[in-house]
Order: sequence, then structure tokens, then C-alpha cells
Amino acid sequence: MEEFDYEELGLMCGLEIHQQLDSKTKLFCRCPNKLQGTREPDFTIKRFMRPVLGEMGTYDKAMLTEYEKGMDITYEGYNDVICTYELDETPPFECNNEAKKIAMEIALLLKANIIEEMHVCRKNYLDGSVPCGFQRTMILAKDGYVELENAKKIGIDILCLEEDAARKIKTEKRTNYFRLDRLGIPLVEVTTKPDISDPYECREAAERLGLLLWTSNVKKVLGSIRQDVNVSIKDGTRIEIKGVQKLDSIPTLINHEVSRQLNLVKIKQELEKRDLKEENIINKPIDLSKIMTNTKSNFIAKGIKSGKKLYGINVKGFKGIFGMELMEDYRFGTEVSSKVQSISGLKGIIHSDENLKNNKFSDEDIKKLIKQLNSKEGDCFVLVLGTKDEIDKAMNVVINRVKYAFKGVPPETRRALENGNTEFLRELHGGARLYPDTDSQTIINSEKEIQIIQENLPEYPWTIIKQYSKKYKMEERLIKELIFTGNLNLFNELLKIYPENPTLIITTLLETTKALRRDGKEVENITEKDFIDIFTLLKYNEIGKEAIEEFMIVKSNYPDLTIEELKKELKIEKISEDDLKKIIHNIIHKNIDVIKEKEMRAMGPLMGEVMKKVRGKIDGKIVSNELKTILQKKLVELK
Amino acid sequence: MTENLKGYKGKGKEVLKKNKVAIWDIIKVTTKEGEYEGIVLPRNEYSAPDYIEIKLENNYNIGIHAAHILNIEKTGKREAHYKIPEKKFPINKNLPNIKLLGTGGTVASRLDYTTGAVIPSFTPGELFSAVPELAEICNLETEIVFEILSENMRPEYWQQLAKKVEHAANSGKDGVVIGHGTDTMSYTSAALSFMLQDLSIPVVLVGSQRSSDRPSSDAALNLINATIVATSDIAEVVITMLGSTAHDYGLIHRGTLVRKMHSSVRNTFRSVDALPLGMIQNRIIKMFKNDYNKRSESQTKALPNFEKKVALVYSYPGLNEELIDFYIDKGYKGIVFAGTGLGHVSTTIYDSVERAVQEGITVLMTTQTLHGFVGMNVYSTGRELQNIGVIPGKNMLPEVGYVKLGWILGQTTNPQEVKEMLLKNIAGEIIEREIPIAFNYNIDELLKNKKL
Repeated sequence: MEEFDYEELGLMCGLEIHQQLDSKTKLFCRCPNKLQGTREPDFTIKRFMRPVLGEMGTYDKAMLTEYEKGMDITYEGYNDVICTYELDETPPFECNNEAKKIAMEIALLLKANIIEEMHVCRKNYLDGSVPCGFQRTMILAKDGYVELENAKKIGIDILCLEEDAARKIKTEKRTNYFRLDRLGIPLVEVTTKPDISDPYECREAAERLGLLLWTSNVKKVLGSIRQDVNVSIKDGTRIEIKGVQKLDSIPTLINHEVSRQLNLVKIKQELEKRDLKEENIINKPIDLSKIMTNTKSNFIAKGIKSGKKLYGINVKGFKGIFGMELMEDYRFGTEVSSKVQSISGLKGIIHSDENLKNNKFSDEDIKKLIKQLNSKEGDCFVLVLGTKDEIDKAMNVVINRVKYAFKGVPPETRRALENGNTEFLRELHGGARLYPDTDSQTIINSEKEIQIIQENLPEYPWTIIKQYSKKYKMEERLIKELIFTGNLNLFNELLKIYPENPTLIITTLLETTKALRRDGKEVENITEKDFIDIFTLLKYNEIGKEAIEEFMIVKSNYPDLTIEELKKELKIEKISEDDLKKIIHNIIHKNIDVIKEKEMRAMGPLMGEVMKKVRGKIDGKIVSNELKTILQKKLVELK
Repeated sequence: MTENLKGYKGKGKEVLKKNKVAIWDIIKVTTKEGEYEGIVLPRNEYSAPDYIEIKLENNYNIGIHAAHILNIEKTGKREAHYKIPEKKFPINKNLPNIKLLGTGGTVASRLDYTTGAVIPSFTPGELFSAVPELAEICNLETEIVFEILSENMRPEYWQQLAKKVEHAANSGKDGVVIGHGTDTMSYTSAALSFMLQDLSIPVVLVGSQRSSDRPSSDAALNLINATIVATSDIAEVVITMLGSTAHDYGLIHRGTLVRKMHSSVRNTFRSVDALPLGMIQNRIIKMFKNDYNKRSESQTKALPNFEKKVALVYSYPGLNEELIDFYIDKGYKGIVFAGTGLGHVSTTIYDSVERAVQEGITVLMTTQTLHGFVGMNVYSTGRELQNIGVIPGKNMLPEVGYVKLGWILGQTTNPQEVKEMLLKNIAGEIIEREIPIAFNYNIDELLKNKKL
């Protein structure tokens, strides 16, 4: 990672965190708040979206871009968990009060001011993720803060209560498929002020917000929390990075984005130095299909033969620009190409800053291209292969992006990638896509309601972490992990049942679960109740702690059986101490030679033998004590 | 000053008045919790009285309780001004000429982003900028006849519409599209079906179930489909709306055999007692049957006279004869019953029904089951009602029966003529045979199995 002086660059970051709430039903209809996983849908419905005229009688640029993509939308739903509301066929029902209360608790933990009368608003989305074309959202609280370890306060701008969008399943040809089970799940959106001035500080703020959310009644599964990072530098633009998966990737993402913005500014300066003008960039693509019919570039030749067209455009004075690296493994050419991909559906572009021979063009091909495009030394040309329609869209994107190079960093929403880079997702939505929802009533948050929640606020997670760590003598890291795996409440429950060994509980919930998951076990099948049942058996010495893992394995495989049933199935019967003694005597008898030779050192191998017979049926500690006593006696006898 | 505080009441109004704040002022409000800055919005008069409502910089709207306001400071004013995009609707001599009559629905509209109000767009230029596809289909001329919610539709308005259509048909227009709210659309389609005699061109009623201010609206597609139907050879009054919840195809329903059957879904209109006339998909019309009136050169005649003193009475357990007596005493000329089952009303009101008939009121029986014929020979009660003088309305929908009786009484008051006309098929409202599939047809299924 390249090092930057972020302060000098004027880095400003903000976070936008979306968290699903764990209410019983959805926000504006009474469908169950339950994701259906990989279950096959019962029905599909095809729809189209059209941009709507904005306030000033114009179309929002982001909406037009989505419309230009010309994508069909197919919604997939289930008869038992989706109603006509999600399908945009029925007006909204009353706002879910349970969800509102959870959101209020979060707002109060963030020391934000609760809005007294909420107005449901609509936020337009044209990508199809919401069937009605807008998300219902309301501002619930304003002006709070979250405190970092070093006591710096990161301001919370607003907290919104809103509906989650549908889940995108796949894109096939020009159709986007969305599954409706997620649509309408209550969500809080926490937006910070751009108070964050360092990539690692951003990571910490995101972690703290995550911890705080996960101590409330929110959904605690993979994907239930999503974070976006907004990044800008002094000479750049505010860029929204969506879909940040891991906390640890935040510093890299910011670093790369800073690099991209800096280099785009450098390009702008370079173009000024070259005395190039934006208005001289003209969108006049030239048809090269005829002269390239016999090109050595196989995929081009094949494409043209199949009826596609090859078009080119010469960009005056741009030599070297397309090849300039903006961030790791990402050049200006990549930037143009990925935007072309997103909007036209084409695989990308070819440009003369990259080695044309990589695309198997012969020297003669290149000569022909240069001549036909009238490309001079110092120019750069761009080639696009596709149908005429696709090429028109693509060339438009190329020219517009090239033109923006004169301005610097185009404001847009980008998607986070695994390697810390980002790619174009959509244009940044303008402000004029938020307007009052005429289908719903205003919602009043009374002082009394607020007061009751205020009086019952939970502890802050960082306080919990410190307290637990001290009380149970465990690393803070483990408590944090308990919260982030959604196990804090369960831990507390289990501790009530089995207070003698907190370490065992935490190891079971974290380490054992992780290890089994690594082995491919479906640990999701083990419910909270299963853990409670297992530890209850343990408490009454019905099983030994060695049996826990075995129960977990079997439960992963047979999700429909209860722990009690499994216990019978596994023939885990409690062994009495008398039986244990018999077993030990038996084993000592069989191994008398070893005992004579090793004396007390035979303890280890003997313990193994005994445990083979009694594992899980009685506590290992009891076994060990008993074995020791009997062995000592035996040695005395032998002497 | 007060009229500048539209919708405000109670303490909310007081605090704005006291601080000399008007709607559209930008204010900074300090409460004991914090500070909020935004534009003062007009308020819905049915909202809680003691709040003020502002639009924040981030475009969200919020309400603040007046009692918690410590200070208000005026910092500016921003009134919304809307530019209407007027692109000239192109004229193509090779395309048919369509007249679009507006009655107040929102087939195309713009949004007031501040209040969420929908501002109808209606000039050809506005429509063209909202639905440019229209210019590929026809030349469009528009006229706003009235601006009402469809529940406020009245027989006088049907009469006006009938005259407008007559004029359009006889002055060279190739078709008429009527933008209409969906609530009473089928009443209007029935009324026009009777009022327009010898109709020479298509008359297509269209609306939307999702208003045009939302990206998922069915308005544009319905309007495109309607203009296509208006250029077709179907010289009847029809309703064209989406045929399924998908944005896939539209159905063409005969104006007298159609009904809104769901309060909110897109495919709310269904043909009753028959299959729709046809469908339209990707701008291509496919007819399911051929027995419809074809476009002709005939002179269209509007016969708009309508007797408004006709009542539509729903039969239910407990229906009291006072209700019937009321209509008689008020001088009503016709009563249409939406009877139960095969066409029944409780025997407890027979005396009043008899009195109505004796006082010269035409009494027509239809069925609230909507589907099927009345069968007043099956039970003795039905026979008795006929004996009293109640006319069995065959398969007519209650609403269609109401509209038809009102229209007939506008043409003649001769009881014999009235009865004959009621029992005669005038505009496709009476069918001779009900095909078995008519009751629960599923167009999606029929299409999938290639049965249409």
C-alpha cells in the first residue's frame, strides 16, 4: 500500500451502515421477517421501470443511466412469505412498531435526537431492487455521535428507519433477477458526518458502530450488516463505495481510492499541460468492420464474421493517458472499460495504450487501424466490438468519461472489490429523488415512548467487553468475537445454566463451532435451544463435556432431531462411579505389564484407554482422579 | 397571513404566526434537544395539530412539536417553481390521428418533490416528454374535459364525454383515448357504450393503478397500449389495462362486460361473463374473437339523455322496506336491485317493491354474484317478484343495469318500451350464452397452453 499524508491531502471519510432489524414482521406489511436462503421461488414476475420526471422537470442522471442499460427485471417470490405489498400491488400497512422501538434504542445509544413526528419518504431506485421503484425511508433521529477509543467523537448525521431492498440473485443476458424475501425487512441506516480523517480511524468507527448495533435486537447473520464508505480528498470528489464486506478491508479501500483520485487529478493536470480541450473531444466513431475482416486477431475476426461490428474512435493527444495507473492493477483504461461494461453490457474496450499485440493484431492490422482512424503520434485510439446498439452506448460512455478527465474525479457510486480496488456501480443519485410518501401517515414518537426506551438502554459494547474480560478472565478479543458472531446473549444464557466454566462456553461457541464449520459441518443447524439443552445435560452430569463436540457434529447432520433424541441415538448414558471403577480395574488388569514398567507414567496411556470407553458419558476430570487413585493403590500393591 | 399557513392548526399554527413565518420560509428551529434547519412545508389538514413540518437540507421531511421549540430564526425563502418540459409533439402524416380526452386521472404526471403532490401532465408536449413512444404510434391532440377524481364522476360528465367523442368521430379523428380514474371507469365505459350509437371509431378508456410519479407505474404502458387500440379496427367503447401483474400485456375489455375487481392490483379489470375481446403485447393486438363492431364510415350519434333518478340497491339480510319507500317518495323513476343469488330480495320488502311498480317505477333485478344470469323462474320467490313486475336483468352487471336503465329512461318513459329495451342487447351488455371458462379464466394459463 502506498503511503500518503492523509492530513495534507484533506482526506474526509464518512460511513453509512445498514443493519437489518430482528422484528417478527416486515416494516410496512405483516409478512414474516425471514430470509428463504437458497429455496426455489414459487413464482416469477417480469417488470420494467421508467425514469420519472424530477422536481425541475428533468430526469435524474443516475435514473437515466439505469434506464439506458435497458435491463429487464424479473422478481422471484414465495406464496407463503410474500404478499401483494412487496409486489407493489397494495399500499403500505401501518409502520411496524417493534422495528421502530429497536431503531429508537440504537438512536439513543448513539445519543441522537429522536425526531418527534416522522414523515415517510420515498427514495427512487431504478435498478429494480425495489419493485415500486422507490424505497420507503424515514429519518428517525439526528445529530448523535459514537466515541472512539481515544475519546474522539465521530458525529452521527442521521439515523433512518427504512425498508431493505430485494436481493439480487443473478444477471442473465439483459435481465436482473431479484428475490423478494429480503424486500421490506426493517433496516436502520446510520450515516456519520465526514469526521473521519484516517483509514484506520474509519475501520475503528465502523467496528464500533457494528458492535453497538449488534448488542441491540438486530439480525446477526452474514449479510445482515452492510457498510458503505464515502471518501473524498481536497482536490477530488465525494465517492460512495458500496458493499464493503470486511472491516479489515476498509483501510485498503480508502488507500486505493485516495490513489485513484490523486491520479485522476494528475491526469487532469497533464491534459492541461498538453493544452488539450474538452470541447475538441468529438463522438464520431468509425466503422472498422470492413478493413478488419481478415485481422489476425481471432476474436475480432470471429466477431465480425458473426455479424458484430468493430468501431474505433481516435482520442487526440491522449497517448499514455489510458495506460496511466490509477491504483494497483487499474489504469485509466480499466476505468473506462468497466464503465462500458456496466452500461452497455459489452466485455470492455481495446485501446492503443495497451499492447495491441496482446489482442493478436498484426503489424499490418495496426497500420490499417492507424490509417483509417487518422491517428497521429501522440493520439490514442479506442476499439469496441459489438452490435451497433451496444457500440453506440459504449462509445457514448467512452467519450463522456474521457471528457470528464478534464474535470478530474467524476462523482459516482462504486462497488468494493476483493483486492481493495473499486469499480463503477452507478452514477451518484442527485438529491431530487427523495420526496414524501403520499401513501402513509405521519408517525409520532411520544416523549413517553422515548423515556421508556431510554431507561432500559443496554450497556455499551465496549463497556461489556471490558467488564466480561475482567470478570471471566478472558481476552477482550474473545468477547468482541462473541458479539460479532451474534452469540453474546446465548453466552449469557448458558452462563446462567453452567456458571462454573465460562471458558468452556466461549470455546464451544467460538472455537468448536469454527473448527466444525471448517470441516464442512452445517453448524447453522445447531440452534440456541440445542446449546441450552446440551449445557443443561452437562449441568446435571448427564453427559461429560467431551460429549459437546459429538452432539454438535451429529446435530449438524440431523437438524430435525432434538438433543434428547440425539442422546438416545448416541447411546450416551451416564456412567456411575461404580461402573467407572469397574472399567478402570479391568483396564489396569489388562495392562499390568505396562504399569510395572512405567509406574505412574502409565497414567497417560491408561487414561486414553479409559476415555475410549467412557468419553462423553462422565466428566474427564472425575475419570482422571479415579484412575490416579486406583493406579496408586495398584502400585502399592505391586510393591 | 393565515392563508399562508395552509393545513396548520393548534400550537403549530400559533408558533409560526408568532414568529411571522410563512410556508416556504427557510427557518432554523432550536429545540431543547437540538437544531433543525429547513423549509416550512404546507401541512396536510388531517395531520396532528401541534406540529410544524419542515424539509431538511437532505430532503427528508420531519415534524417538530411546537411546545418544544425554543427559538425560530428565519434564514431565507425558497418557493418551488416547476418548469414543465414541453417538447413539441412531432406530427407524422402517415400516422393516425388520436384524440386524448382527460378527465383528471394521472396517466402522466410530474412530481412536486417538496409536498409529494402529483401534478398532471397533459399537453401533447408534456406527454411526449414523459412517454415519447406515443409519437411512434399516432399524432396526438389532447383536451382536458374536466379534472375530477373518478369517484366524483356524474352522469352529466358522461353526457359531455359522449358529445366530445361524437365530435371527434365525425371530424376525422381515427380514435379516442379517455384518461380516467379506475374507480368508476367501468360505469363510464358502460354509459358511453349506450350513449354512442353507430360508433365509427375506437373509444378506449385507460388509467393506471400505480400513479405515474413512480418508476414502477403501469401508466405509460397502459397509455401506449390504449393508443394502439385506438388506432385499431375495434369500433367499440373498451377498457384497456394490464392483463397481469407483470408489465407484459394489456387486455381489451368490452365496455359493458367489465369491472374493477380488486382495490389495488394492476390487473384489476376483468371481463365478466365472457373472455376479454383481445389482448395487446409489444404493440401488437391479438383478438380472441371476431364478433365486435368494426371501424366504419358511419355517422356517430350521441344520445346523451339520462334519467338521474335511478337507484342502485344492494340486497342484504336486514334490508328494510323504508329504503324502498324513500326512493318512491323521492320520485325515483327506476330501481335496480343487486339481488342475492339468482336474483332475490327478502320477502319482507315485497310490499314496498309492489308499491314501487304500481307507482310506475321500473324495477330491474341483477345479481350481486356479478357472474352468471339471474334465474327468476327457479324459486317461487323469483316467480313472485316477476309477478309483482320486477324485470329480470339477465346477465347484466348491477352497475351496467343502473347505467342502462338511466339511459333508457332518458330516451323514453313508455313502460313497455323501457322493458323491451332493457331486455334487448344494445351495446354487448347482454350475452346469449356464457362459455364455461368465462367464470374463472386465467389469461396467463390460457396463453401458456396456447388456448387463445
